[in-house]
Amino acid sequence: MEYTEKLAYQSNYWYNDGLKKANIRDLSGAIVSLRKSLQFNRENVMARNLLGLVYYGRGEVVEALVEWIISKNFRSYENIANYYIKKVQETPSELETINQAIHKYNQCLVYCQQNGEDLAIIQLKKVIAAHPGFLKAHQLLALLYLHTEQYAKARQILRRAHKMDITNEITLNYMHELNQLRSQKVAKLKEEKGQHTVTYNLGNETIIQPVSASLKDNAAVLTIVNIAIGIAVGAAVVWFLIAPAVNQKESQVVNKSVISLSEQIAAKDTQIETLKKELESYRSTSDETESALQTASSTQESYEALLKVSRQFDGGNTSNADMLEGLLTVNPDALGEQAKSVYDEIAGELFPVMCNRLYEQAKSSMAENDYDSAVTDLERVVRMDEGYDDGAALKLLGDAYTGKKDEENAKATYERVVQNYAGTQAAEDAQKALSGVGGSQNQDNNE
Amino acid sequence: MLNFEEELKKFKPSLEVEDIEKAVYEEDLTDMTDIFREMLEKTK
Repeated sequence: MEYTEKLAYQSNYWYNDGLKKANIRDLSGAIVSLRKSLQFNRENVMARNLLGLVYYGRGEVVEALVEWIISKNFRSYENIANYYIKKVQETPSELETINQAIHKYNQCLVYCQQNGEDLAIIQLKKVIAAHPGFLKAHQLLALLYLHTEQYAKARQILRRAHKMDITNEITLNYMHELNQLRSQKVAKLKEEKGQHTVTYNLGNETIIQPVSASLKDNAAVLTIVNIAIGIAVGAAVVWFLIAPAVNQKESQVVNKSVISLSEQIAAKDTQIETLKKELESYRSTSDETESALQTASSTQESYEALLKVSRQFDGGNTSNADMLEGLLTVNPDALGEQAKSVYDEIAGELFPVMCNRLYEQAKSSMAENDYDSAVTDLERVVRMDEGYDDGAALKLLGDAYTGKKDEENAKATYERVVQNYAGTQAAEDAQKALSGVGGSQNQDNNE
Repeated sequence: MLNFEEELKKFKPSLEVEDIEKAVYEEDLTDMTDIFREMLEKTK
């Protein structure tokens, strides 16, 4: 076998190796293998095309184009590199966007060298947004996140980078670094936890026992406190929720009994009122009965007196004064028609004579200041004929009362004269006498 | 712990479209055949 064939064989071997690795997304490994393949045979077009494709897979589009252009130079026809170049050039705007992203990435490298990490992070975010498959940009951003201790973001970016190229040395190195940082944290936490344990050897065994914490020491006290809180909460629930319900029921029962009692009282009151009315009616009935009895008695007495006076009047042996005494006891209103005519007949004979006599006697008594006799006589005159001598008898009765210092009766009598016999001399005199009585009353009041 | 400055040195500027021509010309295309020929010429 000639050495050229051997070289071609070796080149193909490494191409196959690179292809295997590219298939499993081991792009870094694939690049190494394909570079070796091209070192054995630079005209291995397939290996160069695949190398370009691998670069393209890592977002290094220009590197890919370089390899495809060289490949095309080695074989200008029946070369898939022509297709790749054509596809990339088909969308110039996309290529321009990618080129801008690469340009910014290069700028970020400068920023990083000038301690402009914050600006570089901002720019790299934009680069990744514009060109998501750019592995180097992911790795640089992860490095900056690690440097600025933003580990969560670094981990997120590295995961995406790892998916693009599973064996990239830089990616793996940073992931390892992150894992170390995490393990350090865990160790620190364990160390902190470890302070709560006591380790000692018992024979060949190592015993790890938790240190009795203050919380555990106070467990009994805490239990009691918890029970107390529970009791307090239970009491509060009973006081605020159950007791009002019970009280409400009790108050409802009391209210019902009060209502029933009130109804009973109202019924009793009604009954009492009814009984009172009945009693009143009975009383009024008895009063009427009594008045009827009195009327009957009066009627009987009037009839008896009239009968007696009638006999005396017919007999002619009795004095006028005695007959008048009997006649004045007769109530004319209680008499029947015939008895009334008898009464009127006797009165018509007797009253004028007796009025004249008693009136004259009264005048004499007044002259002698015997007011009691005058009052007695004049009262009889007035009973027989109130308007005797145009009210002068009644006015004289007022004078007699005045003489007796009985001002109340005097005033009433004068007023009767003024009212009933207006326009008479007696009324004028009575009016004057009334002012005198009033004046004397005022004088008495002043005294 | 990572050394940021050292890690940063691992990142090289990426090629831009304007650099393609230059990159193509500067590509090292030497392979084993070239080396063998050089060796043979030197041994002659």
